[in-house]
Amino acid sequence: MARYDRAITVFSPDGHLFQVEYALEAVRKGNAAVGVRGTDNVVLGVEKKSTAKLQDSRSVRKIVNLDDHIALACAGLKADARVLINRARVECQSHRLTVEDPCTVEYITRHIAGLQQKYTQSGAWKANATGRNSNSIREFLEKNFKETSGQETVKLAIRALLEVVESGGKNIEVAVMTKQHGLRQLEEAEIDAIVAEIEAEKAAAEAAKKAPPKDT
Amino acid sequence: MECVFGLVGNDFAIVVADSSAVHSILVHKSNEDKIMFLDSHKLIAASGEPGDRVQFTEYVQKNVALYQFRNGIPLTTAAAANFTRGELATALRKNPYSVNILLAGYDKEIGPSLYYIDYIATLHKLEKGAFGYGSYFSLSMMDRHFHSGMSVEEAIDLVDKCINEIRLRLVVAPPNFVIKIVDKDGAREYAWRESVKDTPAPSAE
Amino acid sequence: MKLDTSGLESFPSLISHGSNVTGEISAPPSFELPNSNDFDGFLKEAIQMVKPAKGTTTLAFIFKEGVMVAADSRASMGGYISSQSVKKIIEINPYMLGTMAGGAADCQFWHRNLGIKCRLHELANKRRISVTGASKLLANILYSYRGMGLSVGTMIAGWDETGPGLYYVDSEGGRLKGTRFSVGSGSPYAYGVLDSGYKYDMSVEEASELARRAIYHATFRDGASGGVASVYYVGPTGWKKLSGDDVGELHYHYNPVTPSTVEQEMVEAAGP
Repeated sequence: MARYDRAITVFSPDGHLFQVEYALEAVRKGNAAVGVRGTDNVVLGVEKKSTAKLQDSRSVRKIVNLDDHIALACAGLKADARVLINRARVECQSHRLTVEDPCTVEYITRHIAGLQQKYTQSGAWKANATGRNSNSIREFLEKNFKETSGQETVKLAIRALLEVVESGGKNIEVAVMTKQHGLRQLEEAEIDAIVAEIEAEKAAAEAAKKAPPKDT
Repeated sequence: MECVFGLVGNDFAIVVADSSAVHSILVHKSNEDKIMFLDSHKLIAASGEPGDRVQFTEYVQKNVALYQFRNGIPLTTAAAANFTRGELATALRKNPYSVNILLAGYDKEIGPSLYYIDYIATLHKLEKGAFGYGSYFSLSMMDRHFHSGMSVEEAIDLVDKCINEIRLRLVVAPPNFVIKIVDKDGAREYAWRESVKDTPAPSAE
Repeated sequence: MKLDTSGLESFPSLISHGSNVTGEISAPPSFELPNSNDFDGFLKEAIQMVKPAKGTTTLAFIFKEGVMVAADSRASMGGYISSQSVKKIIEINPYMLGTMAGGAADCQFWHRNLGIKCRLHELANKRRISVTGASKLLANILYSYRGMGLSVGTMIAGWDETGPGLYYVDSEGGRLKGTRFSVGSGSPYAYGVLDSGYKYDMSVEEASELARRAIYHATFRDGASGGVASVYYVGPTGWKKLSGDDVGELHYHYNPVTPSTVEQEMVEAAGP
């Protein structure tokens, strides 16, 4: 049997590049990641795989800084992500060195996409998701997206993640980018508080749904 | 001609540089800042050929920034100085940079420090150092009046003494100087000493 | 008279001796002092040192309304004037100008090259390149060819998102941000007029007149500069050529011929 999935440059007879599709599959199986743009901030959130008991959970970051003003959240193979992150960080500094200006988000996105030989996720998104069950997150966001600001944007991002992730700060990593403070990683306790808030709201909504029929 | 000098005081370090951009007999600019911020707590003052000076210091600055992004912690002043020296040393046998460097920084555990790195990649940790024609005057001045643990006032007084001596005795003395300081609160501009004022324009600081 | 400081020196000086005026690293460190016995010799050498930007006067400055750029138009080959109508102000794009001093071919080629790079940047990033970025692009190219014989002394002037911008860039790799520059053999003369007349608060008319006068006075004293004094203005909507005046005509404009009284009249020989 002919093996069409060995080289990344060999097409299968029906026009597929299997290695590329395997890579996409790896991303689909990876952790969920979500990004939401507010009016004054951008929130990135990812699902955290449970860390080993002795491991410092802060040492496995899936949301990282590329430059003072640019952050990246990743889904898929962490090792591959690390290579891309490294190359992107070099490019950010190189851009500052040659043009004396920080690079734009679009510029670095295109650079990373260039490294990935793929430029599908470009353009400004109001909110988007990738990774495991990203379709259901995207559906949720399409239904619930509003132009929010401040803490509301953070809440929306976490709510989106909770669609597919078990609740609790242990399973979520969130970072907020603002003009004034740059990137700020939220503490587990902070996330827990927001999750609790969301759950309370959900419970209240649930109760409200049940209550009115009783009255009539 | 170029004058760069610096000293370490009590919990701070100061570097001073002239601000003239000279091309043969012409002074093209008298407010050129030759002291660059390497990161929040490091200053790099450089003298040498204008092209090399800017290219090299910016290259070092960007690499220091990249290190911080990759590792989440900044380089210590000693590490930054050794990195700078290393880059000069590798370049030395290929296409040498004609730059002399004074690197001042403040580290939490170590306190302030000053490093002297010349264009042939010599590295010294010093309490006071100088480069250029101004060094003949400022070095002796600092040898005479410097003592360890100086206060900011004392140090600035000494810096002014050096600047005045350079203006008094050096034939081709630069008119203007910039003074920068680094301490626990970070690196910042301290003052300018200007005897010729370039007409200021809002758009070009 | 010469002060040899090679014993003390840790870094080679820029001003060094004799033919090696540009100061290579190999040159023995020394320190040239003006000598009253041979002041002409010193002066000659000093003028030689401005040689990399030979036979030209160009200037540019930032003022309230934008940037004013001006230049003469003479090209010379040694003592021979090879052209009186050279375009020394190069239009990089509708918002950016470059000036030309030094080797004409080097300047023209690298400015054209810069124009291409600026346009590509514009297409890739969907916005015009900043003056800062453009000047750095050029400086980095020139720096990479440093020591290989390029001769370029240029000013990049333009208007970008941050307002007016002005940079001086040369083939030694130098790049300076500033408000007022002049490049070329006539630049010391131009600086004299420019520095005394410069104010930030000037109207376009005042500024263009200052630029024109500075070029005129430089062409008057510098034999290698002459021809036409052209003046360009870069404002928020891009550059515009304001004028191009023959410096010979400018001379009579600035110094009108006044009919002087004849000192002695020839007496008509008495007729018979």
